[in-house]
Amino acid sequence: MSKIIAVHSYKGGTGKTLLSVNLAATFAKNGKKVCVFDLDFRAPSLFALLKTPNADYWLNDYLNSTCEINKTLLDLSSKIPGNGKFYACLANPATEAIRDMSSKDRKWEMRALGRLLALRETMIKDQKFDYLFFDTSPGLQYSSINAIVAADFVVVATTGDRSDVDGTKRMLQELYNLFEKKTGLVLNKVLDASATAKKTEMQNKIKADYQVPMLGMVPCFCEILRAEGNLIFVQDKPDHPFTKILAEMARKIETDEVN
Amino acid sequence: MIRNELSNKKPLNILEKIEESLEKLNDKMEIMIEIQKNSNTNGNNQKASLSLPDASLDVMTLLSMPDHLRKTAMAICRCGRATAEEISEQTKRARAVESAYLNQLVIMGYLKKERKGRKAYFFIDRETQS
Repeated sequence: MSKIIAVHSYKGGTGKTLLSVNLAATFAKNGKKVCVFDLDFRAPSLFALLKTPNADYWLNDYLNSTCEINKTLLDLSSKIPGNGKFYACLANPATEAIRDMSSKDRKWEMRALGRLLALRETMIKDQKFDYLFFDTSPGLQYSSINAIVAADFVVVATTGDRSDVDGTKRMLQELYNLFEKKTGLVLNKVLDASATAKKTEMQNKIKADYQVPMLGMVPCFCEILRAEGNLIFVQDKPDHPFTKILAEMARKIETDEVN
Repeated sequence: MIRNELSNKKPLNILEKIEESLEKLNDKMEIMIEIQKNSNTNGNNQKASLSLPDASLDVMTLLSMPDHLRKTAMAICRCGRATAEEISEQTKRARAVESAYLNQLVIMGYLKKERKGRKAYFFIDRETQS
């Protein structure tokens, strides 16, 4: 069963962070213990979306081996209704920290992979977390590939944009395939996705085009754009179609039913 | 009675020692076979490919590896430290195959190997590689 889920994409702006946070929040709402990690060290954004207070320790510190993972975890369970637990582990947004992270060498990256792999033992086995979500930076970056290698399942976010399609296809063949990772595609910002016939046709086309299972399709919602990243939809708008689509994605992940 | 037991144990001990020596020999032969293979395929580059002390097993390296080695390397990445037997359980390939690939990764400088009694453990030395 998939416990560690990496959310990745070829291009930026495909909705990775929104998906990571809302998927994690869906599981938390269902009573699960989850943690979402910001692995986008070049452009940290999770702290802004979650509106968290400044953290004392960051994911950067854990990967640098200067602290253990528990010091970096922020308990945000009060933001989510129900008995679930929602934690976040943030990337340091300070310019100095971004600069530092982009100048790491291969050996550091190798140790960072070891630290990420160790989370299965410390967080899932020892602290009984149900799911960990890795929100990654787009494209082929060390931090993203580390996250993919450490994950059980990769959610690939893509839009119909021409600049994104070819790169995503290549990444599916040359990256996830090589690492033998289970993947599920999320087609985001889909126009005219309301008609059922159109939806099925689109789903079949995507399956044939990308040769990977679909996890879900998210229509382009003006409300999401209008919210300007100020909402966790799953929590703030429980009846919104986006919330329902996410609930279906979470169910598929939980029952291992991505096909 | 006691003498009898002792005389029974002796041949057993000798057999165990022989087995241990054979395993060591087997490991050495596997390394020699891998070196031979490398020299056949790489020609003049043989020396360069064999002298990579403490090469780092990072994700970009994993990506550039041939498929058969990547599978072994990924399994050891997940375990951190394992015997060929344990790796073969993960990859569903024969122990002898994994043993050969693991030894090849040792030669390439990506893994370290250490013997504890009759078992050989392979591991990624993440700490000293700084």
